[in-house]
Parts: sequence; structure tokens; C-alpha cells
Amino acid sequence: MSEYDYEALGLVAGLEIHQQLDTATKLFCACPTERREPENAVRTFSRYLHPTTSELGELDEAAVEESRVDREFEYLAFDTTCLVEEDDEPPGRVDDEALDVALQIADLLDMTVVDQAHVMRKIVVDGSNTSGFQRSALIGQDGQIETDAGPVGVEDLLLEEESAGRVAETDAGVRYSLDRLGIPLVEIGTRPDIGTPEQAREAAERIGMLLRSTGTVKRGLGTIRQDVNVSIADGARVEIKGVQALDQIDEIVRLEVRRQVELLDVADELAERDAAVGSPQDVTDVFADTDSGVIRGALDDGGRVQAVPLYGFDGLVGRELQPDRRFGTELSDHAKRHGAGGIFHTDELPAYGVTEAEVGALRETVDAGPEDAVAIVADDPETAELAIDAVAERAQTGIEGVPEETRDATDEGTTRYLRPLPGAARMYPETDVPPVEPDPSDVERPELLTETVERYQSEYGLDAGLAEQVAYGRRMPLFERAVDAGVDATFAAGVLESTLTELRRDGVAVDRLTDEHLLGTLRLVADDDLAKEGVDEVLETLADDPDLDPEAAVEAAGLAGVSEDEVRDAVADVVERNADQVEQEGMGAFSALMGECMGALRGKADGEVVSDALREEIGKRT
Amino acid sequence: MNPGDRVRVERGSVANEGVLMPSTTADHLVVKLPGGYNVGIDREAAAVEVLERDVYDVESAGEDADASTVEFDDDLPTVSLISTGGTIASTVDYRTGAVTAQFDAEDVLRAVPDLAGRANYRGRVVANILSENMTPAVWQDLARAVHEEIEAGADGVVVMHGTDTMQYTASALSFMLETPVPVVFTGSQRSADRPSSDNVMNAVCAVEAATSDRAEVLLCMHASSSDDACALHRATRVRKNHTSRRDAFETVGAKPIGRVDYDDETVTFRRDGPERGATDLAIAPDLETSVELLKFTPGMNPAALDYLDDAAGVVIEGTGLGHVATDWIDRIEELIGAGTTVTMTSQCLEGRVCDRVYDTGRDLLDAGVVEAGDTLPETATAKLMWALANRSDPAAAMRESIAGELQPRSVPWT
Ligand SMILES: [Zn+2]
Repeated sequence: MSEYDYEALGLVAGLEIHQQLDTATKLFCACPTERREPENAVRTFSRYLHPTTSELGELDEAAVEESRVDREFEYLAFDTTCLVEEDDEPPGRVDDEALDVALQIADLLDMTVVDQAHVMRKIVVDGSNTSGFQRSALIGQDGQIETDAGPVGVEDLLLEEESAGRVAETDAGVRYSLDRLGIPLVEIGTRPDIGTPEQAREAAERIGMLLRSTGTVKRGLGTIRQDVNVSIADGARVEIKGVQALDQIDEIVRLEVRRQVELLDVADELAERDAAVGSPQDVTDVFADTDSGVIRGALDDGGRVQAVPLYGFDGLVGRELQPDRRFGTELSDHAKRHGAGGIFHTDELPAYGVTEAEVGALRETVDAGPEDAVAIVADDPETAELAIDAVAERAQTGIEGVPEETRDATDEGTTRYLRPLPGAARMYPETDVPPVEPDPSDVERPELLTETVERYQSEYGLDAGLAEQVAYGRRMPLFERAVDAGVDATFAAGVLESTLTELRRDGVAVDRLTDEHLLGTLRLVADDDLAKEGVDEVLETLADDPDLDPEAAVEAAGLAGVSEDEVRDAVADVVERNADQVEQEGMGAFSALMGECMGALRGKADGEVVSDALREEIGKRT
Repeated sequence: MNPGDRVRVERGSVANEGVLMPSTTADHLVVKLPGGYNVGIDREAAAVEVLERDVYDVESAGEDADASTVEFDDDLPTVSLISTGGTIASTVDYRTGAVTAQFDAEDVLRAVPDLAGRANYRGRVVANILSENMTPAVWQDLARAVHEEIEAGADGVVVMHGTDTMQYTASALSFMLETPVPVVFTGSQRSADRPSSDNVMNAVCAVEAATSDRAEVLLCMHASSSDDACALHRATRVRKNHTSRRDAFETVGAKPIGRVDYDDETVTFRRDGPERGATDLAIAPDLETSVELLKFTPGMNPAALDYLDDAAGVVIEGTGLGHVATDWIDRIEELIGAGTTVTMTSQCLEGRVCDRVYDTGRDLLDAGVVEAGDTLPETATAKLMWALANRSDPAAAMRESIAGELQPRSVPWT
């Protein structure tokens, strides 16, 4: 597929970046911001949510749609969560540390900090917040970042609470884990100043770098999420949620543009054909004797088959909008939102056990000719009815063009329908938390990671690649501590980046190594209490038994206390054993014997000490 | 420039357009931005331009009519919903920022659509106050209202009440009313303006209890933190034992008397009680309000009792089995001598007072203090108000059980 002319298409994109902060406590309670495994839950409880009217008396469309699905939410609580996460205690005041980090970020994004921040309740009734809303406050406005293609305005900076993590779908609804709920989160929204997929990615990378420069953001999968808003001139604003990887952003934008272009094309074609969506009707009789497994299964469980005639749609339901996603997939997404397993449509039938005769009877029943299409849903009576209405509604918007909506990013860079765009009505004040008056003069501007990379090169002599690896790596603060403690910078960088990576590849559980393990081991080397060659073995020992401290690990690995005399003795032994070779080759035997000496000392001794001793010993004999 | 106006506010390099909201502080303008966020802007530093007046009626937002027209169904029982204010149907006060009750019983139906189809409802507002502002005079108004509703044919009554003092009001009604139908108190611990509010399940379960066959004053609130069942508590044995949890209410000295399962909507009772229709409707609403509850603490100045000199009744929340410091005994004897009824309860809450065991207790009994058995201090207070106004021998009344408040046997596991 050739690249579009994005300027001609009128591409307008914006980013919303959500980043978890690595603060000591949560935003509204004193619980740690620690992630937990579901199996470590200490209690569970279940709740329902009911939408309420907002401050301005309107029910939000997204909230209403969510609540149509009457679901029971189950929550896992831990010894690291409290009643605040359970919505059984009012929230505390806004966490000071989180506010400070947010102000730092506002500074890095050249934003104006608000005089008074009001914590709002953003209605979310999918169960991911026990309260039924997410607490969120506007902290900064009107910032800007630079990209190669020009500046991108930053509209707002929000400080909010992270939602609960989704663990599993249950029979009755969804199970969530409370460990994540309440972790401070900043949301950064750019202006729709982005004009190409590449610029979207670059802007996201730039913001990501600024965030990491604070040194107080969480790292790892799921700790940063990007939402992308995309529209083209005749298309519509589509909000794509949950892009996990930065390097996917350009592809997501590219594919969404393609989807809108294709949808516009479908709409043009439908207009030309004078297409229309008919009324849904029950066509169960058509499938009374069907051998289609899906339909048979639904009917045997007392279900019904509902159909909607799509006049003038023939061939277009099967039109591909994105790789492996057709117009029919869009219809199916809406059916799924209402609990159905999906749809069948005539562009793909006969198939799935549905016969040609059944397709014919179906067309006849709903009065559909060869230029028309028919979509069907088989499910329990209520679900089938809700689902087919949703399909009809989506088909109708297909005639009009691209619907505004919120979509979910898939791993392939495509998207699927999630819910309507949220409206402004979903906010009301969180009266349990008094407004705060942030003081931006309190915070210090951190060194940017781009500056850190340069410093590592000029000050520590790291090469550009290693400097970047360390600066952007999660062990950067540890690296700085090690260098401050007198550890050689290149050596520290090598251990923290390459050595650990190699050990992990060799199956060593390096995740179990704490900062204290690593720092302690590096210091032993700096203090000449451990040979550089012994570092691997000490770290491996510590990973095996994390209760040990580095000194004890040195003992346990048998690397302790090799005096210079012992080194000399061991070297002398080796030279003695190889006396003939030394006599013949002189210093030429050095490298061969060096390996043997190190082996004999099993990494207990520093290489330089050993080589000095060996050189001396060979010298004696020649 | 008034709340509800659409305004443009310039402050430094930032210009915001939005709807002006009421501010809780004098120094800041609060503007609701198009995205829904409120932002506070320094009033002095801001240049404000009103773009359009009264875009929103901020005052009445959330109160828009569109009232549910509920049809009468002959097959359904009639339940009277009586509102006293409180958090079952409350909303945010944008002036103070606090949560206050603003709805009448009609609004409850709108707030809890799930109530539809369970009963025919009659709405009535007795008060619109926060429960900490409740008084014995309102208890009396409420008792009369409940009486009238039952007289007018209600098959059950649900009283919506703030949770802070619900146990006092429910207790008082237990003494003032003899009822042939269930009278069920309910409320919410988490405000009704949040999607997670416990108001929906509590109200639904209360209506289920009010249409059950148990004719007494009950309190219906969450049984646990989960939205799966409400506990039914006997009004005279229940206490709010947590500031914020949904399951804050606990029956003291026993398990809750019953339970309403939310999923299958069944009402079950674990102990016997008066059946629907077994009692004739009667009301005895008089109260002697000159009654105080006094909690004794170590070293407390006996002069605290001087304030009680003219009281008709005093409930003491003593230590342990029902004690106060020895130097209080003479003062208590004087009080009793002057005609005050003094009754003893325990700050242990669990268990029964027994002043026969230690010297101090025996001295208190000699001074004329009346043991209230295992009656809860708050219940004893409401009971003493009622007994002083309705019984010729209030002291004797404090020793007997009138509305299940004094358990004959100590069997807390039942
Ligand atoms: Zn907590």
C-alpha cells in the first residue's frame, strides 16, 4: 500500500499520554504504589455501579452505554491496599510527592501551572474504579514540545489516580485488582498539531524522554499508555486507547487514516447506491433446521436469530478497512459490545455451516435482493435484539461516513470499537478533597536525559551507545549512586547493562537482585575486596539466595580472601607445571598460562595482580 | 458575573473559556472548562469577560423534573417512603462543596429506578436535615408520620435517614410505636452522587424487608463490603461502628436478626419476632427530653454532674461492669435524691452491666442507680426519654425489655 499524502487528507492527530509516577505512596492514601500478583490477594468483595447525573444534570452517553450492561465487579484487595481503594473510606489529601513530580513535568513541558487545582470525579462505570469515577485534577495548561516537523502544543497536564487492573472476565462481570488503583498518574494531552504518523511517534518519544528525566516515573509494561486522537478532513475524531508501545504509534495513525479513507469510500458508494438500513426482524424460522454450529448452539439454548437487511450494501460489508478488519468487523464489534458473540453477514455466506438455501431463505424473509446484504445475530433473545439494533445503528452511520468514537488498539496496530466518545458531562467536583494551590517555584528542573547522555560521555568517558543505554535504562539512578561511591563508571555501566543482560540470558534470576545487592557488589570491586572477574559469580549467588548480602555472597562463592602471596604461590605452581613451555616460548607462553592461572584462582583474584605475578614469574625463568 | 455565566478569563498568557461555577474561596474564580475540568483562577490577577449570561442554571442542576410517573398496581403492596434527609438521595452543594440532602421521596424513585415494580410507593418528607442535626422533636414528627402512613394503609414503611444518628431515631421509634407492619430504616454510607453508592442496594433491600412479614422497627444496611446482601438489625440493638464502611452498622451482643439477599431478593430471619398484623397500631410519642448521656473517663471532674442538676434523667456510660470513680458516688446520690433517674450502661458496649460484683458498683446501687442490663448507651438514652414521659415507674422500665433492647440471655453467638 502506498503512503497517503497526509497533508492533502487533512490529517490532524493529538496524543494523550498516561504515565504512572513512582512515588512512595498513592495519590489519595498512604498505601505503597506496589504492583501485586492476583494470587496474593487477601480478600475479595463485589460491587455494582449505577450511573448518576453530573453536576450539570446530564447523563453521559458513554456512562449510560456502559451501565446498560448490568455487571457485577469483583475486586481483589491486598495487604498493600486499604479502605480508600475499596471506596469504603473518603480519600486523603493530594499526595505531596505526586504533586511535586507533576509540577516538575509541567515545567519540562513549558506549561503554566493553575492557581488552584480542583480534583474532579470523571465518571467511569466499567468497574475499573471502585467509586465509579476517576479522580483527576488539571495542573498545567498551554505548554509546548519541539519535534523535527515543528512545535506541538501541549494542551493540558492532569494529575489523576490510576484505575484498578483488569484481572479476568467472570461469569457475572469483571474481576479487578486493587493494587494499581490510586497510583498517581499524569495525563498529558497535546494539541491536535500533529500532521504525520512520524511526527506522532516523535512527539510521543519526546514526551516520554521528558517524563523519564524526572526519575520518578514507573517503568515497565503498562506503566505508560498512549492514546492517539486521529481525524482526517472528511472523517471524524477517533480516540484510540491503550497503545502500549511507542514504536506502534506511527503505524496506528497510518492504519486509522486508512480506515477513515476506506469508510469514506464506502459511504460514497452507499450514497451512490441510495443505500438504506431496514428494520431488524426475527428470522429464527429460517434456521429451524440449521447445521451451523454457532446458530444451532444458540437455538438449542432457547436463543433467537435476529436479522437486519442492509439495502444496497452487497459486497461492501466485506470491504477491508484495515488488515484483517472489514466493514463487517465494525458491525460485529457493536454486536459484541452488547454481549453477542458476533455477526454473520451475506458477504461471507454461505459459510460456517450456513447453507446456500438458508441464505436464500434469509434474503427472501427480510426482502433483500442481490444488491443488498443481510447481517444476523444468533443469541439469547434479549442479547440478539440488543445486538442487532446496535448493528443496524452502526450500519446507518456507515452511510453517513466515519462515526466519532473511542477505539481500542490491538497488538497488530489496528483498532476495534470500544465505546462512544466521552462527553464533557462526565465530570463533577470531588468534594471530599479540598482544592490545592500548587507552588511551581518549589520544584527544581531535573537534568534532561538527553543532557545526561552527553554528561556520561564527557564526564565519564562512556561511549555514546552505552551512555544512552544507561541514561534511559531503569538502573540509571543506581549507576549514579555507584559512581558517587567511587566505582569506575565504565565498569559500573558494563555490569548494570551488559553483565546483567548476559546473566539473564543464562537463566539467572536477575530480577531478584536488589539495588543494594548490585551497589554492594560494585563497591566490593571498587574497594579491591573482589576481583572484577568474580562479579558474575557473586551476582549469580545473590540471585540464587537474595537473603545474602554481597560480602556473604563472596564467601559463599568461595571468592573471599586471596592474598597477594596466595596469588604468587598459585602462579608459581602453574609456571612450574609448565616449565618446559616457559623455557621454550618465554613470554610467548604468557597468554596460555594466564588463562590457567585465572582458572586455578577461580576468579578470586584480580586479573592485573595475576598478570603482574605471572610476568614476574616467567621473567625469573628466562 | 454570576455562577452559570459563560465567561472568558485571561490570566497571564493563558485564556480560559468556560462556565463560571460557585467558588468555595473568596480569592479564586472557579471556571468549568469545556472538557469538564474545574480550575481555580486567582481573582485579582484575572481579567474576566462575560460571554453569555445564565448558560446553566447551576442552582437547580441535577434537580430537573422529568419525574417518574409510577402507576398503581393492585397486586403490589404499598410502601411508604419517608425521607428525613441524609445520604440515600443527596447531592453536592456547590456553595459549600459538601454533600447535602436535597431530594424528596419522589426523587428517590428517580435516583433508584430499581425500586420500580416492587411496591406501590407513597412519598413523604418529614424533614430535610443532616442526621447530626436530628432532634427528639423530629423523632416525634417522624413517629406521627409513620403512624399516619400505616393508618392510611401502608403495608410497610421505609424511613430514609442519615447514618450518623440513625440508631437513635430508630430506637426512639421502637419505643414510641406499636406497629403491625415493618418499619425499616435505611440510608447510605457512601454518598448517592457516586455510581458506587450503597444507596441503591440498601433502598431495594429495605423495600423488600418492608414488604416482609416481620412487624418491628428494623435497620437495613450493607451486611459486608460487598453489594450482595443487607443485614437486618433490630433497631434497639444496632450501632454505627465505623465512620465510613458500607457495613458500618452492627448488631451488638447478637448476630443481625435477619438478612436480605440482593441477588435473589429473599428476606430471611434467624430469630423470632412479631409477625405482620400481630400487633394493633398504637403510638405513644411523648418524650421527656431533659435526658443526657454522660461518658465517664478516668479523673473526670465530678463537676460535670453539676450541669445535670435539673435533668429528669441521666444515662451514664460507665467503665467495665458499670462503674464511675468513687468520688462521684455522693454527687450521684444527690442527683437521684433530687429526683433525677440515673441509669447505668457500659462503655464496653458488649456485655451487661453488673454492679453487684465490686464495692463501687454496690455503692452505686445503694445510691439508687438503675442498671440498664445490656441495653446500649444510645438506646438507653432514647428509652429513658420515653420511659420518663410514658411510664409511672421509669426505673422499673429501664430494667425490663420493651422493644427488644434488653436481652434476657447473654448469647452473643445467636
Ligand atoms: Zn490505600
